[in-house]
Amino acid sequence: MDRRNFLKVVAASATVMAISPSMIRGNLYAEDGMLFKAYEKVQLVDAAGKPIKVSTLAKEVTYIFNYPHASTPCMLINLPKPTEKEVALKSESGESYIWKSGVGKERSVVAYVAICTHQMTHPTPNDSFITYVPTAKKTMAYDKSGIIVCSSHLSAFDAGAGAKVLGGAATQPLNSVILEHADDDTLWAVGILGSDKFQDYFKSFRPELKEFYGGPAEAKKLVSISAKTVKLTEYSKEIIQY
Amino acid sequence: MKKSFTLFVLSLLMAGSVNATSTDHRSMLMKDMRTMLDAMEQIQRGGLYSSTEDMKTGIKKLQGTLKTLESEEIKFILPKDQVYAYKFAQKTAHMLRLYSDDMIVSIDAGRMDEALEDYTQLLKQCTSCHIRIRNW
Repeated sequence: MDRRNFLKVVAASATVMAISPSMIRGNLYAEDGMLFKAYEKVQLVDAAGKPIKVSTLAKEVTYIFNYPHASTPCMLINLPKPTEKEVALKSESGESYIWKSGVGKERSVVAYVAICTHQMTHPTPNDSFITYVPTAKKTMAYDKSGIIVCSSHLSAFDAGAGAKVLGGAATQPLNSVILEHADDDTLWAVGILGSDKFQDYFKSFRPELKEFYGGPAEAKKLVSISAKTVKLTEYSKEIIQY
Repeated sequence: MKKSFTLFVLSLLMAGSVNATSTDHRSMLMKDMRTMLDAMEQIQRGGLYSSTEDMKTGIKKLQGTLKTLESEEIKFILPKDQVYAYKFAQKTAHMLRLYSDDMIVSIDAGRMDEALEDYTQLLKQCTSCHIRIRNW
């Protein structure tokens, strides 16, 4: 590259950054107010490393995979009915964004970061106070089931509508994991939608992350290539749901 | 008649003893909570006056109160309408132990920023449990 071309590249990059400073942080704010952060595209695989296929996902079962960081748990659910479309959501700081819908033939497969937006309750290998409550079960958090409940302080989230808050102390929806459903029925995680609290999570749970992942650096590592996906009942020894 | 009277007295004694046990548990909880408050104040004072000894004494005092919360006894201690949530109280106790253990490690390593962050998390656990269990 000669000097003139180099200067052209520098000038073009500076113009892009000046027009859209959010790109420096990696957050992309679309014109419709959508808040999205792209991470490495990873394939969801089972404990044996075989790709997860939508057609094999049990209905109304909570599956867990870690994404985008090695220690940030996310839940994958195949809901009993198609999800809503183009749901308008708002972060606690007032940013608006759009959750498009679930994926799969029936538009029923959803994934959310399983860290409660109230006080960051999350599943650990020991226990989980946050889970999807199947339609046949009851919860104290809300008058209907088929929702996600954090039993720490009884926050309820709409699993079929971008995890918007239905009740309880939470002030913003759970972050969504953006999924891609490929032609061969496999599932891929590509990014996170919503205002995430990952940095607060790493700071607040430092001793716990040290216990389970070896240290902050290991806990913060970005997931690459594939993400092991198991049932919550296999991920946590005990599930507490009120 | 004598038999009936004996049965009546026995049942009264048993009811009294159950009630006494319940009161014992309650007063034990209240005593533990006062000790916890005292321990938290001592840790904070230690942090503000740069006294790691005070901080460590406070931590030991706090940890001394966790056994009851961690055990099944917690079911007898919680308010009746919150007994079902005893797992939440146990989890809180577990987190208090985790952060307080880490605080000692951080103090010994001279990482005071981390030690004070642990203190913040301890306080957060206390308020989180009070919000939940005492319907704050």
